[in-house]
Amino acid sequence: MNTYAYLLSGITLLPVLGVIILLLWKKATKTQAAFLGIISETCALIIPIILLSELRAGRSVVFSLPWIPNMGVSFSLELNWLSLVFLITEVLVTLAAMIYSLGDKDGEKRSHYYYALLLLFSLGMSGTTLADDVFLFYIFWELMLIASCILIISWGHGENRLRVALKYFIITHIGSLMVLVCLILLYVNFGTASLSALTLQAATLPVQTQVFMIIFFLIGFCIKMAIFPVHLWLPDAHTVAPMPVTIILAAAMLSMGTYGVLRFPVALFSLEAMQPFALWMMIAGLISEVYGALMALAEKDIKRIIAYSSVSQMGYILFGLGSLTHDGMVGSIMHVIYHAIVKALLFMVVGILLAAARERNIDKIGGLAKKMPVITVCAAIGILGISGMPPLGIFNSEWMIFAGGFDSGFPIVLTVITLLGSILTVIYSLRFFGKIFFGDTKPEKVDTNISKTLLISTVAVTVFLIIEGLTPGPLLAWSELGLVSILGGLP
Amino acid sequence: MEGNIAVILPIVILMGGALVIYVLTRALRLSNKIEALLAILVLAGALAALLNLVQPLNDLANINDLFYGSRQPGGILFFPNIVGVYIGVIACFICLFICAYSGEYLSRDPRFLLFYPMILLTIAGLLSMFFAADLFNLFLMAELTTITGSALIAFRFTKEEAVKAGFKYLVMSSLGTMTMMLGIYFIYRGTGRLYLTEIASMTNDFTRIGAACFLVGFSIKAGVVPLHTWVPDVYHHAPSAVSGLFAGITSKSMLFIMPMIALQLGMTAQELGLYLMVFASFNMLVGVIRMLTQQQLRRFLSYSSIAQTGYLMFTLGIGYYYQLPSAYAAGLYLLSIIAFMKCLAFLTAGNYEYRFGTGNINQLMGANRLVPLNAFAFSTALAGLSGIPLLAGFTGKWLIFTAALTAGDAFAIAGLVIFLVCTVIGSIGYLPMLVKQYQRSRANLKSLEKNQLTVTSTLWIGVPVVVLTLIVIVTGVFPTPWINLIENVVSLVAAV
Repeated sequence: MNTYAYLLSGITLLPVLGVIILLLWKKATKTQAAFLGIISETCALIIPIILLSELRAGRSVVFSLPWIPNMGVSFSLELNWLSLVFLITEVLVTLAAMIYSLGDKDGEKRSHYYYALLLLFSLGMSGTTLADDVFLFYIFWELMLIASCILIISWGHGENRLRVALKYFIITHIGSLMVLVCLILLYVNFGTASLSALTLQAATLPVQTQVFMIIFFLIGFCIKMAIFPVHLWLPDAHTVAPMPVTIILAAAMLSMGTYGVLRFPVALFSLEAMQPFALWMMIAGLISEVYGALMALAEKDIKRIIAYSSVSQMGYILFGLGSLTHDGMVGSIMHVIYHAIVKALLFMVVGILLAAARERNIDKIGGLAKKMPVITVCAAIGILGISGMPPLGIFNSEWMIFAGGFDSGFPIVLTVITLLGSILTVIYSLRFFGKIFFGDTKPEKVDTNISKTLLISTVAVTVFLIIEGLTPGPLLAWSELGLVSILGGLP
Repeated sequence: MEGNIAVILPIVILMGGALVIYVLTRALRLSNKIEALLAILVLAGALAALLNLVQPLNDLANINDLFYGSRQPGGILFFPNIVGVYIGVIACFICLFICAYSGEYLSRDPRFLLFYPMILLTIAGLLSMFFAADLFNLFLMAELTTITGSALIAFRFTKEEAVKAGFKYLVMSSLGTMTMMLGIYFIYRGTGRLYLTEIASMTNDFTRIGAACFLVGFSIKAGVVPLHTWVPDVYHHAPSAVSGLFAGITSKSMLFIMPMIALQLGMTAQELGLYLMVFASFNMLVGVIRMLTQQQLRRFLSYSSIAQTGYLMFTLGIGYYYQLPSAYAAGLYLLSIIAFMKCLAFLTAGNYEYRFGTGNINQLMGANRLVPLNAFAFSTALAGLSGIPLLAGFTGKWLIFTAALTAGDAFAIAGLVIFLVCTVIGSIGYLPMLVKQYQRSRANLKSLEKNQLTVTSTLWIGVPVVVLTLIVIVTGVFPTPWINLIENVVSLVAAV
């Protein structure tokens, strides 16, 4: 193993170090704990950027240590173009959420535990994207669930947080178990837990086994993506969780489901094996898109509106993946990233609104544009972003997803309905924006004295969203390389 | 009497130790703590004697010479086996913690005198059941565990529930041994022999009926549904240390003695595997479903124990039905980790009762503020039992999955589906139980503070709890040495 390999291990080891320090540093103030978390995440962001040179040279970076030799399990991490895209998205979102949390009131008590758990949550996601061993993958996969669940139980809002956390845990755990069955089935069939080795061999499995595994993988990962009808955990969990956790849940964790679909059923089995499921994936994506949008329209709780919008947006992603075309899949990867930025921005705005107006009902908030001009601009950009307005990023990804839909060979009507469904996104977004910022009903009291940290982090994400939208080239290239790294080229 | 004295040395140490401790404590009026220390010394001696058997058991060429006793009619004959030694080592190891813990835990019980000798006799009985080469002595040792078990369960005899639980165990367990006795009658009627090795070469319908009787007898002792009715009452009302011992090792060990006997009596591995797999599903389902409604920690753990017995039966069932040594190894691994996790769970639940006088989780809300270490240890045990990654239970879960998927046919997959469903239902039970200790409730916290029976915990409780917690964590993160050890045990079993 070379220096780069050891550097790669730092992405998982540094957060562990951060967690250990935080657990021991019981007297750490919130600011101190947050800074430690931010430093750790910054390092986790810098490392993959340093490793880019290796990827550009056509070499993936691998770190491997034997762990449980008699079970063929090793602590193996691999950075390739696909994992890079998801890793950077996840780390950036966590970093933004941590900076935002400095101005947020959540996590004031037992801050060292709070930030330790945020680091573990992030570690779970980083590890999931980097793991090159199915045993290790599952450990990281469950780590993100456990850490987020404890965060919701301990720092969530409302008396029902235990019930909500339990619902979240149970539903996503069912998905995890379905994934686990497939991982062990692979392990049993080939006697190795190495994901790289399995990728080379999995397509030799009997067709029936492949079909079974694709179904289980898809359902398992769709639960994480919160695709209708297995989305039930999402609205409540997003509503009850403290805002930084909601940001990470919506903007980063949902994308892990997408990574799972790409890394397992798509990468392990041939596209021919996936073909029978393509139409069903597209239909499920379409239904999720429309259902999420309709629920967002019907909801009055501003946090739930944005939460349901995630169900809708994940629908687009699944639709693109289901098309099994170059454009559709690249579009889906890009949509994951754009959605992460937009969703982080919108939840940041919602957090500020909740702190300012102390009201969640959209019918009781209005006319905030004059009182909060900067936030109004940020929200407007976020709303335009999620509605798919050019030149903001989602326009690019939706374009590619729709192009993929038309190329898929399935009835064009599916893609047309999906395209028309995006009108619903525009409607609920404008309703959200219009009512809150220009509505007549004004809340009794609005505290416009917003924390500078909240404001700066929100503005920073807004600027980032604009830049990403205006310069889609690098992201498009990375997404294409990511897809090539798992498929070796697409029709 | 002939043979190698080392064979019975562990049993002699345990039985002799029990007698010596009883006499010494009674004569010299020793304190509970001193008696606990003496018991620990005896257990350490037994442990050393057991480990001393490992080398001769590895010597396959001379393994038939490794026995002790008399081959004359009516004589006692012991043949050690590696599985018995392995489980004996685990049992002695667990008992070390239980005795240390009881050094403090029993400080309010004036009748501690009998406790440690009974524990030692129970382990001696268990070990003798593994080593017994003839059915009559097997029956005697099963009765010994029944009597000492009942005495331990009804240890706090001033409590009506404890006496009832002890009586229930006595009745149920005696029913089990009586069924075994009936089995011995049939076997003797059919073969005129009691030595297992002799019977193995002359099996007939009578021996098969006898095998079925033994199956029922061991099932009662292991808590197999529907013969499990004693389990919740016993684990709830016995001293927590005793519950830890029973739930952790003694009852589940029966599932390993059962095949050793049944297979020599003419039952096929497929029949045994089928029996285990079918009844495992009942255990899993009944255990996890009943677990959901429990508020008392130890009653909750009792039902979780019934479910875990099911997981163990399922794994062993796969091992026998499909002739998979890896599944048998998984079963041994599962037994070991369940022993540690269950023991830890019962010891920590007992510590809550010892400290606050209640085992109701709703009354223990916020208890982590007062006993953070205990709360962490209890959480570790519960998280381990529910199969959370990086704790011992997860590797066990992985091995169960692997065993079922290796078997691969519809029957094993159906069992796996039930296991999966039970895992999910189990999580619904474990999570609230785990979380409630940490839930802030000022009123509850004040009440707990006010009603504390003792304010500080001593090392007698602290050390076993910390060491067991570390074992659960370390075994989860680094299971390799343990798996290696079990693979060696299984390869030796296969070679024999």
